[in-house]
Amino acid sequence: MKALAAAAMIAALALPATAATPPTKKPGVLKVALAMPSAGFQVGIVRGRTVILARGLEIDLATQVAKRLGLRVSFLNEATFSKLVKSGPNDWDLAIAQISVTPGRARRVDFSTPYLEADQGVLVRPGVTPTPRSIAALRKLVVCAQRGTTGGAIVTNRIKPARKPLFLDDLSVLLYDLFAKRCDALVFDAPTLAVLRRQAPDRYGPLVGRIPTHERYAIAFEKGSLLRARVDTALRAIAGDGTLARLRQRWLGSDTAKLPVLR
Amino acid sequence: MPAGRYVTAALCASVVLLPAASAPAAPRAATVKIAFLQGEQVVYVDRPGSTVAAAVRGLLAGPTTSEKAQEIKSQLPARTPLRRVSVRGRVATIDLGIKFASGSSADSLTARVAQLVLTATRVPNVHSVRLLVKGGTPLGLFPGIIATVPLTAKSVTAPPKSPPPAPAPQQPKPPSAATRALQQRLADLGFLQPGEVDGRPGPRTTSAVVAFQKWAGLGRDGVAGPATRAALNSASRPSPIRPGAGRRVEVLLDRQLALFIDGARVTRVLDVSTGKPGYDTPVGAWKVFRKEVRSWSVPYKVWLPWASYFVGGVAFHEYPDVPPTAASHGCVRVPRWDARWLYTQTPVGTLVTVIARSR
Repeated sequence: MKALAAAAMIAALALPATAATPPTKKPGVLKVALAMPSAGFQVGIVRGRTVILARGLEIDLATQVAKRLGLRVSFLNEATFSKLVKSGPNDWDLAIAQISVTPGRARRVDFSTPYLEADQGVLVRPGVTPTPRSIAALRKLVVCAQRGTTGGAIVTNRIKPARKPLFLDDLSVLLYDLFAKRCDALVFDAPTLAVLRRQAPDRYGPLVGRIPTHERYAIAFEKGSLLRARVDTALRAIAGDGTLARLRQRWLGSDTAKLPVLR
Repeated sequence: MPAGRYVTAALCASVVLLPAASAPAAPRAATVKIAFLQGEQVVYVDRPGSTVAAAVRGLLAGPTTSEKAQEIKSQLPARTPLRRVSVRGRVATIDLGIKFASGSSADSLTARVAQLVLTATRVPNVHSVRLLVKGGTPLGLFPGIIATVPLTAKSVTAPPKSPPPAPAPQQPKPPSAATRALQQRLADLGFLQPGEVDGRPGPRTTSAVVAFQKWAGLGRDGVAGPATRAALNSASRPSPIRPGAGRRVEVLLDRQLALFIDGARVTRVLDVSTGKPGYDTPVGAWKVFRKEVRSWSVPYKVWLPWASYFVGGVAFHEYPDVPPTAASHGCVRVPRWDARWLYTQTPVGTLVTVIARSR
């Protein structure tokens, strides 16, 4: 591994021409695989694998990456998510679809530097006073979560509510219960909550904070991809110059990374 | 009723262009039903035509000026292009321009799909709609709608399995003499029910204070501060805005109040929230025509408990959130604790006068 990386580095130093043309499957084009839909992240229109229209945070992010590598971007849609994290070869250069970095997946694909921390968020119903700012404050409320999720585990093990929590299977029913004041605070993936709130702001109260779980979304490549290092450089630049924060604000309605941590 | 049917048949016959022999069901198929929106519900209007294409064109054209005057509206973006319509078996494939997916309001996006599916499936022998946008299948553009399979009327109208929610009980606050005095004054003026004078502060009292503040033209904060108390001391019971007889209701859009009237006396003043700008509650004299204890808003996907409809899809109904300003899709939102009482006070036939300016 180390030798390979060193060789790649030497090659890059010795041949500035290859630095100008990133190693993509089709020269000049960055082929990006998606697994639509996911509200806020990637939604659009498809005919088979052909993407007629795509929009969302990850679409803009992939477009930015391509732009900074001097490439044209093209998208294709895989009907099943698992195809994005199987071991290669693929006819695309990279995959982006809220892919969480896990040790199991890291054995089959290479990951970029993460572009989003997908912590758990806490969304309260309209009219909760005072606004809960801590785990202790949440403890006094009727807390709800989807059964069997990270959020559910956090309710049971971290929040340990004094009042009986509400666990349901269906997220849409939970959201309705929150709106209808049967539940005071919902614990779920922060980015998803941010998108839901943005789509129907008058149905919910504020997104009051996050509970870190250290889940990270990253771009996936075939094992040994020579493109990865170049994409990482681009991603660091996109994060460094505020572009990523702006995209989060635009598509998620709030920069979930800036939500206060509830302790 | 039979007379009405003859009239409709006669009208239809004059519109039918095809020879009767080629279309056995011609008299009924000569008009299509277009699903528009009024308040929280879908309402159907007739347009000439008999095909899915005619129905979709009628939908895309939007309501007429006279329909708009009654606050009948559509969530389909103006000038959405119709690319192609075909019917195979009982499935209508409808391909629309990208404009159909414009905007980011979940309410509007889901409502327009409901309108399209309900319009197309009202055409005889059409059971479901395969929705295409710009020739492809939309993925995630319409929240909660899975367009990879044909959409039936049932798939866009069915309420969720969970029943309308029962609100969590509130912990009553300890009573005080000051609160009791405030409540008594509010009850004397018609802003609270006499039975609600218990000395305990709570949302009912706050709502009654807001109602009084709305009537008196004060800031709507629900707090009985010095200005509100002074106004309460000098106030008299509100009187009806329009003359009339018997039991009736006046909805005052400028003040966001509902007056319950018996003869010349206002028996109760209720804090309500009517249609937000662009969704105005239609002004006019209407009558309650339909009552549903558990009503489901088809286009906007929300429960409307204790609903009394008085024009199209516009109703008085309970809602978890009754802000001090106009906020609804055209209906009259009523706080939870007053919704059931209102339901019992407004039998079918009750006159409801919606008034834009009450001062």
